[in-house]
Amino acid sequence: MKKLLFVLVALSLILLFNGCGKKAAKVAPAQAPVVEKVEEPVTQVEKPVLSEEEIFQQKTIEDLNKDETMKKINFDFDQYQIREDMKPILQDNADWMLKFPTVQILIEGHCDERGTIEYNIALGEKRAEAARNYLASLGVNAAKIKIVSYGKSKPLVHGMDEESYFQNRRAEFVITKK
Amino acid sequence: MKSTKITMAAFLFLFSLSLAGQEEITIRIREGMPMIPVAMPGFQLTDKSLPGNDIVSTIYETLWKDLEFSRVFKMVPREHYSYISRFNANAINFKDWASIQANFLISGQLEIAADERIIFSFKVYEVNGARFIFGRNYGGKKEFSRTIAHKAADEMMKHFGEKPLFTSKIVYVSETGNDRDIYIMDYDGFRPTRITYSNALDMLPSWSSNNEKILYTSYRNLTPELFIFDLYSGKTELLSSGGSNYAADWSPVSDQIVFTSTKSGNAEIYLKDMKTGREKQLTFNPAIDTTPCWSPNGREIAFTSQRNGTPQIYIMDAEGSNTRRITMEGSYHDSSAWSPDGMRLAFVSRIANRFDIYVYNLKSNEMSKLTENSGRNENPSWSPDGRHLVFSSNRSGRYQLYLVDYDGRHIRQLTTGSENKMPKWQRLPR
Repeated sequence: MKKLLFVLVALSLILLFNGCGKKAAKVAPAQAPVVEKVEEPVTQVEKPVLSEEEIFQQKTIEDLNKDETMKKINFDFDQYQIREDMKPILQDNADWMLKFPTVQILIEGHCDERGTIEYNIALGEKRAEAARNYLASLGVNAAKIKIVSYGKSKPLVHGMDEESYFQNRRAEFVITKK
Repeated sequence: MKSTKITMAAFLFLFSLSLAGQEEITIRIREGMPMIPVAMPGFQLTDKSLPGNDIVSTIYETLWKDLEFSRVFKMVPREHYSYISRFNANAINFKDWASIQANFLISGQLEIAADERIIFSFKVYEVNGARFIFGRNYGGKKEFSRTIAHKAADEMMKHFGEKPLFTSKIVYVSETGNDRDIYIMDYDGFRPTRITYSNALDMLPSWSSNNEKILYTSYRNLTPELFIFDLYSGKTELLSSGGSNYAADWSPVSDQIVFTSTKSGNAEIYLKDMKTGREKQLTFNPAIDTTPCWSPNGREIAFTSQRNGTPQIYIMDAEGSNTRRITMEGSYHDSSAWSPDGMRLAFVSRIANRFDIYVYNLKSNEMSKLTENSGRNENPSWSPDGRHLVFSSNRSGRYQLYLVDYDGRHIRQLTTGSENKMPKWQRLPR
């Protein structure tokens, strides 16, 4: 009985000093410990190829937007008609939205700085509206699309050349719900 | 929304008194008259043993700059004063002042009273008649010395039959970081006071007809909507709902506002009665109609429409009828501002990718250019007397506010630092 009690006390002490209690406590050796070289086999893990659905499920709305899941389109100077070369982008955006019918988006219309503040708000809204109408013509439910215009208040780039102006004349597709 | 104490309330501390015992004479000047030469010798401290020279010079310099800015008075240069005998308030040698071509003479005196208060007295004399014309006393806290000087300058304007403008204020948008808020400052750029604290874009401010409220556009609820900030209560009120609502202008003569709204699905101009809350759509056109602006008598509205392909300026009656096109040349015009006399429209035109301020004379149908070859110039707004305009320009890099006279002369930068734009000058209170 006495022996059993001693063992129990010793055991509990060991547990106390050794947080997880998986290993037995060792008395520190007098000489330097022998360093054992540990090597692991190099494993080549192949990342699983995620399907579009899996990506959609895994990513947050922020990440989806950051990764430009829906690509922006650009416009001609002073214009709000959809350019021919932008139609394939809208087609991709529409396809994606049709694939994920729970998605809701906000289309932001923007302008370059070569316009007045007031008129650009109207022009930016026309651009956002044109993009919404085009998506709707491809079968997307327009009720899932909200629009807003920032005019020239939120330029993407700050250059004063045609390329910068082109980049700033845009409609952005922001996912707001998935 | 933080409530902001507006320095305007402090004006109530100011009092003005006519100088008793001296008869006042009002002088009327006519349009087209040459500027009136005025001499203003340095102001005096009543008790020279007390500190106050800085206040004396603040009042003197502020008043001098106001009168110099007026285009009504012409200040006789100070260098000329050294050719004549020193100014003595008790025995004015009018012949001396006449000899340096001064028609009027302003003398000023400052008394430092108890509790940091000051009393400023100024007197105006007609040199050729060797007579006293009028005078005023102003009392207030010493931090309002600039306002006291502006009040004295306004009094000069009124006595010469002109509209006071020096105590008027300018509301504008200042950008700090990604935030844009509404500010108010004196007409000369001093004492900027922030009035909105949203973490969103606040823009396109305008004054209510009584100058007690600021009507502006804000993106704080995602889409552009109209808000009213009451300068006296510090309260903010959401006005519009449905679609985008922006670019509002308050009638100068009534409690009606006009603004752009897309609630019908397209940018159209609406009129709203602030008392009854009733709204009326004024334009019905599939093109963009925006940027409405009241005529000073409240009977007409200038606006921008793209109905003929490009943005042009139009005028319609306040009921929405009788629309006529104003700008016939150029492919881009916007941001109309109607002059207080109703005769002129200022607006922005883009010609060959240059943005300049133009003034269109509605009587002679002539157009003149106010700015040239200096960056992008936007959002003109008239001074209460119609002799000056404030506008924004990126001529020095970032957008800043500038003043310019009606004829394009005397361009002067008002603001520095962070980006400042979309100014609206107060109108005269009705």
